[in-house]
Amino acid sequence: MLDISKLERRWLKYKIKRSVPYIFLITTGIIFSVTIMWLYSDNHQPKKSVTASKTLPITIKAAVLPGDTHSENTMLLEPSMQFMQSIEIPAEVIPSSTSLKKSIATSPRPAVPSPPVSTVQTPKVPIPLSKSTQPIIKGKLTSIKRDDATFDIHELEERFKNNSNPNLGLYIARYHYDHANYSEAYNYALKTNALNTTLDESWLIFAKSLVKLGKTDQAKKTLQLYISNSNSESAKNFLDTLNKESSK
Amino acid sequence: MEHLLFSKPRDLFIDIVNPKDYVQIDSVSHMYQSLKTSVQKPLKMILLYGRPGTGKSMLLHKLHHDLSKDQKVFMIDIPIIDENDFLRVLAHKIYSYASRESLTLTRFLELSAAVNFSIIPIVLLDEAQLYSADVMEKIRLISDARALKFVITLHKTDNEDIIAKEHFQTRIWESIELQNASYEELKIYIQKKLLKSNCFDVANMVNDKNIKLITKLTKGNYREANKLMFALFSLYAWYEEHHPSKIKYNTLNTKWIEMAAIHTGLIRA
Repeated sequence: MLDISKLERRWLKYKIKRSVPYIFLITTGIIFSVTIMWLYSDNHQPKKSVTASKTLPITIKAAVLPGDTHSENTMLLEPSMQFMQSIEIPAEVIPSSTSLKKSIATSPRPAVPSPPVSTVQTPKVPIPLSKSTQPIIKGKLTSIKRDDATFDIHELEERFKNNSNPNLGLYIARYHYDHANYSEAYNYALKTNALNTTLDESWLIFAKSLVKLGKTDQAKKTLQLYISNSNSESAKNFLDTLNKESSK
Repeated sequence: MEHLLFSKPRDLFIDIVNPKDYVQIDSVSHMYQSLKTSVQKPLKMILLYGRPGTGKSMLLHKLHHDLSKDQKVFMIDIPIIDENDFLRVLAHKIYSYASRESLTLTRFLELSAAVNFSIIPIVLLDEAQLYSADVMEKIRLISDARALKFVITLHKTDNEDIIAKEHFQTRIWESIELQNASYEELKIYIQKKLLKSNCFDVANMVNDKNIKLITKLTKGNYREANKLMFALFSLYAWYEEHHPSKIKYNTLNTKWIEMAAIHTGLIRA
């Protein structure tokens, strides 16, 4: 004869006993997850405070460049003009041309259609960050929108007029060259060369701009002059390329 | 008052070995056919072995039931432990020789020589692991003399590999191993058993999930499955009588299967 009530009690006991390991595992899992989340958020907290205190040393400005056919899929990072504007460094504390050259050379180029770039360099010198320069991530695309109101090459040009920084001049020349403003690139490269005669890239931009403007002979002469003074390999290579092309 | 719906399926699973309850399953059927074929061969001993609850006894009973129509077959399902009793019972059942005195092996072989059978009589021994070594030795000598043919069943257990015993190894015979039922086999077994007795409503309640649980609980042991199903349908009969609203007629209740398993000792709770 079956004792149903006793059987039901035993069954309940069995179910509870059987559920214990699962309950333990779930509880452990929840505790573990919560701990991980807490630690994760804790590790990221100081960064937020840094942002809030506007002490991030560099502003990398995201720009969807005009005429960029890959704008939907490509993310380009570009230094914020506001950031550049905010640099109020006296001429005497400007770093040496070599170190600044390195700095500019490693910074993302503005208009070169290149594979997606997401490298944000760690700044060496803390510079205040304005809220308007924060990248805006929108939708599923990882595109960072540039605040057009704050970016203006003309502002940089104005600043170049004021401080005559050769590295800034090189930057502007490169910017114009990349945007196919070859006459402007020529002008700024010329001014930069006048300020610092040792900047290889400036001379190259100068010569390349001349080539683009149809003044290949003048470009060759300029390069030869520069090579005679600096013995630059990159200038030699470019000159060889020009000579080969003209001999064809 | 007995309820018709669940009392009948409950009684189907009472753990008794009846050849009429034999359920034909592919693998078991194959085993049975090979056993029948082996019996026709001039083998002295045939061994049927397997873990408890794999259907050895049922096959032996089925064989007895089928062979007894055509030839002399004697089945000893309860082992006769005493050596003298064993020979005396055999002599009485096969040669119709009744004697109150103890019977020697020599006398037994004389009797067998005196009685001429067209087909050698078959003796079916269930639970042969319970026989003593002396009795087994006599069985070996009788079969060597071709006085009788023996079909024996043995338990194969983890603790004692009885097949390895010398008196089983030295004889020429055919051995058939029975395996525990798989999920598919247990499903066919339960459903065929229910359908055979026209329990269609209950057969429809048994779904794959139920069978998986039953297979898991019984580990494919037919005897345990019978016990579990008996306890389960006893529970159903009780609920039908006391709380009929609790019965769902589209599936077997998992909780009740587990309760039946607790009752039969398959689950320790």
